[in-house]
Amino acid sequence: MNWRVLRLEGVGKDFDRADGGVAQVLRDVTLSVERGSFFTLLGPSGCGKSTLLNIVAGFEETTTGGVSLDDMTVTGPGTDRTVIFQDVSNALFPWMNARENVEFGPKMARLSAQVRKERADRYLRLVGLDADGGKFPFELSGGMKQRIQIARALANDPDILLMDEPFAALDAITKKHLQVEFRKIWDETGKTIFYITHDIFEALLLSTHLAVMTAGPEAGIKEVFRIDLEEPRSPSNPDFAAMFSRVESLIDEEVQRMRAR
Amino acid sequence: MYAGKLARLSVSILVFVGAWWTSSGTFFESAIVPSPVSVAEKLAEMIWNTKLFAHLGASFTRIILGYALGCVIGITVGVATGAIRLARDLIEPPLEFCRNIPPVALIPLVVSIFGIGEIGKYFIISYAAGIAVLFNTAAGVLSTPQIRVRAALCLGARKRDVFVRIVLPSAWPHILTGLRLALGFSFMGVVAAEMLAADQGIGFLIMQSTNIIAPAEMFVGFLMLGSFGLITDQLFRMTIHRLMRRYMIPLA
Ligand SMILES: Nc1ncnc2c1ncn2[C@@H]1O[C@H](COP(=O)(O)OP(=O)(O)OP(=O)(O)O)[C@@H](O)[C@H]1O
Ligand SMILES: [Mg+2]
Repeated sequence: MNWRVLRLEGVGKDFDRADGGVAQVLRDVTLSVERGSFFTLLGPSGCGKSTLLNIVAGFEETTTGGVSLDDMTVTGPGTDRTVIFQDVSNALFPWMNARENVEFGPKMARLSAQVRKERADRYLRLVGLDADGGKFPFELSGGMKQRIQIARALANDPDILLMDEPFAALDAITKKHLQVEFRKIWDETGKTIFYITHDIFEALLLSTHLAVMTAGPEAGIKEVFRIDLEEPRSPSNPDFAAMFSRVESLIDEEVQRMRAR
Repeated sequence: MYAGKLARLSVSILVFVGAWWTSSGTFFESAIVPSPVSVAEKLAEMIWNTKLFAHLGASFTRIILGYALGCVIGITVGVATGAIRLARDLIEPPLEFCRNIPPVALIPLVVSIFGIGEIGKYFIISYAAGIAVLFNTAAGVLSTPQIRVRAALCLGARKRDVFVRIVLPSAWPHILTGLRLALGFSFMGVVAAEMLAADQGIGFLIMQSTNIIAPAEMFVGFLMLGSFGLITDQLFRMTIHRLMRRYMIPLA
């Protein structure tokens, strides 16, 4: 599809709570994400990041405002946007082996067996698991499972990857490897990434744009940055360090505000 | 390892049969609990004069038909209750009520309605099996993780694909548990139905043995129930292991 900008305009979201009340989670969120950018969302826990991602994915409806790709309004889940879930054990289909998981999207698109096989080969290789296609999810480590989930998403050739803390459940070393690898994959595929993390370091390592959210309830966007750090990005770079403390203090401010309530 | 297991199995069986043998004629009168030898003799006799096969055939026909009917209804209604909110709200309350009424309790009513013919027995067995299958199926359909469905939607699955390729496979382990439980309930159901109203079948054999004072026949009945129950359950497990293995693998 040909679009230039993913737009969130005046997005608000209320949930009916189980106790009969209303949770006012998001209020007037407006963002523009340019095609090809790596857009990261940071914010205090519980402010509504996942809710916002679920709205962009089309899983949740907005209470006010809307999401659009140029002038096409998002009304539900679609193959142009694929979510990479943190809870990879439930996200992968446990009765399908790695290759069958990767071929699921192409199969839904009614592509021929030949094309499906080519896609699976290509993306299993891209994530370094070409030898593990026959393994079932329970036979794979957490990091390998997350690689398969990324391959499965890419094999369906979406425009946007929506990633909700994809590496948060992994150990520090695996996480570091996957961050570097994923940055390469992004360079090669040029996908638009909408990314959520709690890890400021990760955000600065990967993103081209970064938005900090205010604390909930009625959370919104506090500040949006363009990240123009020198490549390859390194924490020893003074600009990196300065940016880090700036973002950190913004988030701390919001956490303080949340505590003060 | 395997030898050790075999040894423990042999000991366990020997102790069981030994306890039976020594208590018969001492602790219990042999006219009430006959010895293994007289039961074996009776078994041989009943095989020789083919009386046993008539009873077994009658019970098995009832179990197979009743079980099959119960499973088809149980899975169909279970899927509907699990997948459709309206169906769940309408169907579940009366079923929650019925699940507390054991099949045996229905026998007098069933006999008054259907008489002592076969239909009433199919009803009892289908009821026993169907309830178990239904609740497990509904629970299985409801247990599908939301993330799994959402992942499929992102990858282009339509409503029908989600149901056939995601929800049903997620429910299989529960459904199979229900089918296996139901098999046991079918055995209980058939015996109960035959004890009250039948002129053939293992349940009838057991009930009749007290009237004609033939304790060994009763124990042949127990033997048949125990061993055929065990065999069908093992066959069931082996079939599942072969055909459904990929749905039974651990999630982690
Ligand atoms: N279905 C729901 N019903 C009611 N409240 C909800 C629902 N989903 C989310 N919320 C509320 O919305 C708020 C935001 O939740 P959300 O999961 O989006 O936060 P988050 O920023 O992703 O948090 P975290 O960083 O911990 O993942 C929370 O207060 C949560 O309780
Ligand atoms: Mg979240």
